[in-house]
Amino acid sequence: MKDISLGQFYPADSFTHKMDPRAKLVLVVAFIVMAFLAKNFLSYFAVMICVVSAILVSRIPITKVLKSIKAIIFILVFTGILNLLFYNGDTVLWECWRVKITVEGIIFSIKMVLRLVLLVMGTTLLTYTTTPTAITDGMESLMKPLKYIKVPVHDIAVIMSIALRFIPIISEEVDKIMMAQKARGAAFDNGGLLKRAKALLPVLIPLFVSAFRRAEELASALDARCYNATPNRTRYKVMKFSWRDLIGVIGVAVFIVLVVALNNNFWGAYEAVPAVWWLFSV
Amino acid sequence: MRIEVKNLKYVYSPKSPFEKVALDDISFTVDSGDTLGIVGSTGSGKSTLCRHLNALIRVQSGSITVGDIALHARKVDLKTLRKQVGMLFQFPEYQLFADTVKKDVEFGPLNFGFSAEEAEAAAKQALELVGLDFDEVAGKSPFELSGGQMRRVAIAGVLASKPSVLVLDEPTAGLDPVGKREILQLVTELKKGVTDTVIIISHNMDEIAEFCNRVIVLDNGKLIADTTPDELFNHSDLVDKTELDYPHTVKIKRLLAAKGCTLDSPALSADQLTAAIIGRAKG
Amino acid sequence: MSDKGTESAANGAPQVTENSITAGQNDALIVAKDVTYSYRNGEQVSRGVKGVDLEIRGGEFVVVLGRNGSGKSTLAKLLNGFLVPDEGTVTVNGVDTADDDKIFDVRSTVGMVFQNPDNQMVASVIESDVAFGPENLGVPRDEIEERVTEALETVGMESYRTGSPNRLSGGQKQRIAIAAILAMRPKAIVLDESTAMLDPKGRREIMDTILKLQREKGMAVVLITHYMDEAIAADKIHIMNDGEIIASGTPREVFQNEAAIQRAGLELPVAAKVALNLKKAGLNIGFALTDEELAEEVAVALTEEKCESK
Repeated sequence: MKDISLGQFYPADSFTHKMDPRAKLVLVVAFIVMAFLAKNFLSYFAVMICVVSAILVSRIPITKVLKSIKAIIFILVFTGILNLLFYNGDTVLWECWRVKITVEGIIFSIKMVLRLVLLVMGTTLLTYTTTPTAITDGMESLMKPLKYIKVPVHDIAVIMSIALRFIPIISEEVDKIMMAQKARGAAFDNGGLLKRAKALLPVLIPLFVSAFRRAEELASALDARCYNATPNRTRYKVMKFSWRDLIGVIGVAVFIVLVVALNNNFWGAYEAVPAVWWLFSV
Repeated sequence: MRIEVKNLKYVYSPKSPFEKVALDDISFTVDSGDTLGIVGSTGSGKSTLCRHLNALIRVQSGSITVGDIALHARKVDLKTLRKQVGMLFQFPEYQLFADTVKKDVEFGPLNFGFSAEEAEAAAKQALELVGLDFDEVAGKSPFELSGGQMRRVAIAGVLASKPSVLVLDEPTAGLDPVGKREILQLVTELKKGVTDTVIIISHNMDEIAEFCNRVIVLDNGKLIADTTPDELFNHSDLVDKTELDYPHTVKIKRLLAAKGCTLDSPALSADQLTAAIIGRAKG
Repeated sequence: MSDKGTESAANGAPQVTENSITAGQNDALIVAKDVTYSYRNGEQVSRGVKGVDLEIRGGEFVVVLGRNGSGKSTLAKLLNGFLVPDEGTVTVNGVDTADDDKIFDVRSTVGMVFQNPDNQMVASVIESDVAFGPENLGVPRDEIEERVTEALETVGMESYRTGSPNRLSGGQKQRIAIAAILAMRPKAIVLDESTAMLDPKGRREIMDTILKLQREKGMAVVLITHYMDEAIAADKIHIMNDGEIIASGTPREVFQNEAAIQRAGLELPVAAKVALNLKKAGLNIGFALTDEELAEEVAVALTEEKCESK
């Protein structure tokens, strides 16, 4: 059985795995911006090179990443068809009532699907290479400045950490309670929606009761460990920026510049080559 | 009711990096009237095995027959099966849910097709079996009761469906000595007419020795013994090879033997041991 | 040795230092005087403990025995200020647990481990969980590292340091919970039914750990339980029933007090039970706490009467 608390984390010893989670979080945001900046196929191509090289560096099998795309295949098809049918273009290929397929529509829907695929690849790379715990730590650290506007950053971080800790426990408990009620003849998988919802009560009520009992004991445990004893709380694990993070930042920055440059056709530098020019223009 | 398990094998998350063999080629039978103890360290597959007995886990390979129901068949009549095989989980008081004790105990019978009157009669009978006064507790919320009482309500909830096989997964865990005694006495009581076959998972060898007529030992998913408590504790060295313990009475008997005073008694309970020592002393 | 720990513990947190509690070996560490506490739920009042006097010295192993609902857990929660007495006082090294300003001194001096190990862990990585207490106390980072290592070594879980607690056995999880308390370098540790949910192996692990803490680290240990066999190695036992302490003494004294044990709904270990029954049957048998002691007594008695004739 896989440990559910690890989420999608794929253990490996790679450059990306060793990066500071804060750097990875920032870079993912930068990558999302990059994907939205891209306008023409060449800049999309640049974004793709960026994400593929990141995957190669992370040593995550490409098939694993492709699987995460499979998970959103329905959304991809839906987006593709919608844009294909309803894009307002000029070069009409086929028309029927208010629906028309245009060359511009085809190009646009390819771009939209491509953008979604790239976004998913980039963000799953974060969850594949970083444990939920590290992501939480990273987020806490990045949110630190919010302390000055009285946001209880540390409390939020403890809450997130506890939530992560209890996900596997609660999920195991749900399994157990469901089995116990099944043993008493409960059926969860037949009947209409209302009947099914009602059938879940014998699971939900014990689950809530237990969650409250756990919460109470957890609260005592936090007290026992002197939670909030001092505002000068120290940190055991301190994240450090390393050369890896610097390389990552430089790499992504270069790609962003490249995308912007490609968007603007290198300010006219490639007009001389007709084939390349066409790619720029679409 | 007779239960026959043949070559049962179960693998968690097969064909994945997390694959784990939980049960490996398990075969044994339980006869009508048996009180079977299942022992083994945590993670040895005891719970997985028991959950097979009322098809909470479906047979992957091998076969299980409970009475005349084949659990390895493609289609199993789950209602009939689960009515016949009652299962009490660990810490069963955590599965109570209804707003009154009566409703909670009736949950099983109603699911198994008892009429409202039958269910009420069954609930009443079951609550009285576990030593609770129906009129006193029926209308109470189960969450108002003490821990020991909640456990008994949970047991009543299983008994109310009148199962012919009762599977108890560590029924005394977490209870204080008085609560423990009460539960074990209840099991003895049940055997006198209510449920003819009882299967108990327990870590407590004293309980196994005193209350079971047969015992199977699981170790890492394998069945390494199918025998009687007397045979297991008095005539084999199997216990030494596992993480299990001897019952205290047997330990004392063995210590005595090492000092040159051998007792003939199996010494499976404190009373047996006391009687054997007195007998020995008086001639 | 733990004195040094507490002092440096407080370095980063001046407000904790000022009242830093220091107690030598064998001084009274926790003193409860005529303590009464009742639970109030609206109109309903149910008694937790009544008129309890208790003294726990540095380095002592004390067991509080009682059935469910006897008030033993309430007593545990009074020992480090989770509950404050309605009447009477509890002091931890002279500091009243009712003094809100010093509550963290009390709690870092008297650590507490609870029943369900799953409900005591806050982090998904073991070392982070153990570090949580010292972090809260403002212990400097290098020292946290040292404390985490020491605590995990003490409970024998050092090799699991960077792992997740989800895969551990109950006994292992509970050892982590103990380590998490040890990292705060308390002088006493209260285990509130911490063995109740464990299998025999887990219980043994915890008992071994407790004895190690007491014997090697000189810590006071208060074990709340309903298993009499866990009390055999105690320096002192208190039996609780219905909110009151009805018997106190060494295991040998208390285990022979049959009336109190019966009243409290407890059960003697098998060896003690058999010994008492044999004595009643007229055999010349002294008292026995352990299987070994009983075997010895019986062997002697039998040799006198029978075995020698063979």
